[in-house]
Amino acid sequence: MTSLPLTRSGVQAQRSAGGRVPVRANPWPGRLSRVARLYGPLALYGLFTLIPFYWMLVFAFRPAGSDRPVPWPLSFANFDTVWNGVGFSTFFLNSVLVAVSVMIATTFVAVAAGYALARFRFRGKGVFVLVLLCTQFVPGAMLLIPLFVIFKQIALINNLGSLIVIDTVFQIPLAAMLMSTFIRGIPFELEEAAMLDGCSRLQAFRATILPLMQPALVAVGSFAFIGAWNNFLFALMFISRQDRFTIPVGLSYTLGQYNIDFGALAAGGVVAAVPVVAVFAVVQRYLVQGLSAGAVKG
Amino acid sequence: MPRSLRSTATRVVSAALVAATALTLSGCGGSSSGSSSNGVTTISFWDNNGGPTRTPYYQELIKRFEAANPSIKVDYLGLPADSVQQKYDTAIAGGGTPDIGGVQQSYVAGLIARNALEPIDDVADSATLKGNIDPKVLDTIRSTASDKKLYMLPVSVNLDILWYRSDEFAAKKLTPPNTWDDFFTAAQALTDPAANTFGFSIRGGAGGTQALLSIMYAYSGVQTSFDSSGKSTINDPKNVEAIEKIAALYGKETSKADVTNGYKEMSAEFDGGTAAMMVHNLGSYADHQKNLGAGKFAAEAMPAAPDGTRTLVANAPDGFAVFQASQHKAEAKKFLEFMLSKDSNSYWNQNVGQLPSNLQAQKDAWVQANPALKVGQTTLAASTTHIVDVPRYLPQYGSIVESQMGPKWQQVLLGKLSAKDFADQWADLTTKAQADWVAKHPG
Amino acid sequence: MTLTAPVPAPVRPAPTRRPRRRGWSPYLLIAPTVVLIAAFLLYPIGSVFYYSLQNYNVTQPYDDGFAGLANFRHMFTADPLFWQSLRTTVIWVVAQVVLQLLLGLLLALIVNERFKARGFVRALVFSPWAVSGVLATGIWVLLYNPTTGAAHALSLMGIGSGDTAVLSQPTSAFIAVIVAELWRGVPFFAILILADLQSVPADLYEAANTDGAGRWQRFRYVTLPHLRGAIVLTCLLRAVWEFNNVDLIYTMTGGGPANETTTLPLYVARQALTDFNFGYGSALTVVSFLILLVFSVVFLRVTKYNAGRD
Repeated sequence: MTSLPLTRSGVQAQRSAGGRVPVRANPWPGRLSRVARLYGPLALYGLFTLIPFYWMLVFAFRPAGSDRPVPWPLSFANFDTVWNGVGFSTFFLNSVLVAVSVMIATTFVAVAAGYALARFRFRGKGVFVLVLLCTQFVPGAMLLIPLFVIFKQIALINNLGSLIVIDTVFQIPLAAMLMSTFIRGIPFELEEAAMLDGCSRLQAFRATILPLMQPALVAVGSFAFIGAWNNFLFALMFISRQDRFTIPVGLSYTLGQYNIDFGALAAGGVVAAVPVVAVFAVVQRYLVQGLSAGAVKG
Repeated sequence: MPRSLRSTATRVVSAALVAATALTLSGCGGSSSGSSSNGVTTISFWDNNGGPTRTPYYQELIKRFEAANPSIKVDYLGLPADSVQQKYDTAIAGGGTPDIGGVQQSYVAGLIARNALEPIDDVADSATLKGNIDPKVLDTIRSTASDKKLYMLPVSVNLDILWYRSDEFAAKKLTPPNTWDDFFTAAQALTDPAANTFGFSIRGGAGGTQALLSIMYAYSGVQTSFDSSGKSTINDPKNVEAIEKIAALYGKETSKADVTNGYKEMSAEFDGGTAAMMVHNLGSYADHQKNLGAGKFAAEAMPAAPDGTRTLVANAPDGFAVFQASQHKAEAKKFLEFMLSKDSNSYWNQNVGQLPSNLQAQKDAWVQANPALKVGQTTLAASTTHIVDVPRYLPQYGSIVESQMGPKWQQVLLGKLSAKDFADQWADLTTKAQADWVAKHPG
Repeated sequence: MTLTAPVPAPVRPAPTRRPRRRGWSPYLLIAPTVVLIAAFLLYPIGSVFYYSLQNYNVTQPYDDGFAGLANFRHMFTADPLFWQSLRTTVIWVVAQVVLQLLLGLLLALIVNERFKARGFVRALVFSPWAVSGVLATGIWVLLYNPTTGAAHALSLMGIGSGDTAVLSQPTSAFIAVIVAELWRGVPFFAILILADLQSVPADLYEAANTDGAGRWQRFRYVTLPHLRGAIVLTCLLRAVWEFNNVDLIYTMTGGGPANETTTLPLYVARQALTDFNFGYGSALTVVSFLILLVFSVVFLRVTKYNAGRD
């Protein structure tokens, strides 16, 4: 068991001196306190989260012309419109390809840059951090034309490759900075111990840091995925082929000039959001397996 | 669990990388300006308002065209209406325009200024189309370009009309307004704040100033955008009076929400029963038909000025343009001619609920049987109707009307700016832009 | 800009300072990032700076040409909307970052506790983050609209007048957009804080317990110091992001009524989208860029967040 060096000597002394002391008595009886502290705020926040989603479901599932606040009788006409009529079946595959590629590429590049930021001192580091930040200072809409020219030169216009590249470029700075913060939170001693055992730096990284980075990888990876999944502007501008568009472009089709189809917009929204929420529901449990579980075993 | 996560991740990585590489290597980044292979020419066509309500009918017409012209293939691309100008801007600057594209006259001037469009007078003069496209609309379009050439051809004819809820008018035993006095009386009679119903819906948000122009010129009967000295007529006393009267409805005979109304909010109020009248063009017909069904709504020409003339501000028609950079202009023009031919034009407009631009198609039974379109057609053809061409050729036109005067119109509604000051500022900007334009386009 | 200057690490119980291996490794590690940014962003961002010194209006090509500092002069001396939109932007950023941080922190602490169906609840409260801009605006516009929204539904049930138009009054419109953006933004903070909470060394809590620390003291002296790095960075990134975030405001209010909710980037968007004045739009962007740059440097200094700390 690798014990962590604690700088607060008082804490250290206490810890080595004695065993566990029960948590201090709470002024409130347990259940009431849990309601006030946990379930109450959670219910309030859950409501805030749910109402807009509920509204979306109401519009997606109720038949045209109904203004009932419940989606009854259920109608799937809107889903037929977006899946078959608007072409979501194609857009969906394109979006998956782009978002998964961006997620993977971003994570790899960001782990490398994040590790460098967290574990090395090197000349130009401050400038590098500022450059990362600077990339976030200009709205994408102001960069469309030069980017279009670049992608045209490398023959990536009308190619999903352009979306993968540009979404990755825009996700990396954020991801790299977050990665470095997370890596810095992992004690260097773990790595050092492994290196003293004869591991190379890379081996030490894989043996000690990587397993502890699951929450960070999941958080950063899902941010990159979602950022790419939802990008509208680049998809619309760099693609001029109907069969290469992505879901956000499909969603915007429901907002016509004279015909805003709220039902189709909501149904498209459900199609766009359900897979992401589902994937999120699965990976969120990895958010909690990290140092707390792993460090103690060293 | 880390291991399984990692191996899954590895598999996903490799699959995605393989797919991405395949995509890049297959060289499918084809140029959007079309290509020819084994005798078949592919032209690209961009729809400026793509979506489930239009795309299927374009696809059907494309199928018919390709069947009749086996040597031409048309590549359809639907673009969301809100972002289409940005898409054109990027494509023009970066070099990736289509062969033929849907455009609206409201932004055609900007495309012409960048030499992005090809004159298509020859298509209008072709054997099948000559004399068959509404000449009043062609005049409006010609006014967009300083060389008076045609850079777009209209697919539909449009005009602002007064939409009203015929069911609510019947319930209150009101007749549809023919004069502005009738209009204001009806607006009052149909208002019942307790029941959350109002007589009128003002468009205060996006597109609001353009709608206001329509209302004020119809009210004042002023027949030109500029007087003989080149001064804008926007602050004509009768126009100011119209602005005052409409603004006075706000919050009383209209919902307070109207200050931010764009088209969709205004239309939702009308279809939802909150507002009994609204001013919009024929374009919203399909929307009302879908949400309300026949019998609950009807259209009437804009109320007449006191002397009985109806003054309409020319609506920006929707149509097609051929792009300068196209490598296949002949094929693009052929497709354009096909789209505007009587049968195609009739098929298209019938399905999207618009008034055909082809005069032969306008005679079709379905137009005559559609009361709203019939009102539009009769109004346009009437000798008492006068059309005011607004200066959409001014490069600053959109900026003045939308970004500068839009927020000020909201200030007028909220009582923070007087109608007079508002109209004076608007007229001033327009007069200056006109003088600047005249100086740069002598003759 | 000497961010590399060693600043003593004040918060985290830092491991003893030790020398790091120098050499090429860090440069190799950051190379992919540098190459990508140089290849795809250097020229586009540079062109914004270039056009800020030009007259460049795509509808008036005959007036295009070098303008010197004319765009900037106009902005600072003759454009009240610039100052007004800058003020609105500052209020917007401060409101978003502060509220997202507080709510996100609370939410992360709550869902870090153990309770039934925790996984499901987490997925649920985090899900707005996964919703695209097009959709988020669509949903909230529906919800606020007096004829399709919640107020209408309530009035059908006999509650309220129905003529509740939150987007039509400047103050209520601004608050409405802030609430809608919080819906999407709080999970961002919550997810990052939750992920960082997992790396609080368990020993520290044990030690604190041994010390007899209460819940609040454990939070104050163990959790918060540990989270500090993540919070500081997230606040900075979020401030920059919210500064440039326009999609919700653009669709929901269009900057109105009467420009009262127009932020600087929305003003830029309007220059590019309706006025086609890319020269002036670029100049506004350059000023935003410089404001954000100064803000970031000062923020990193003041919070002593130092990328070189180890």
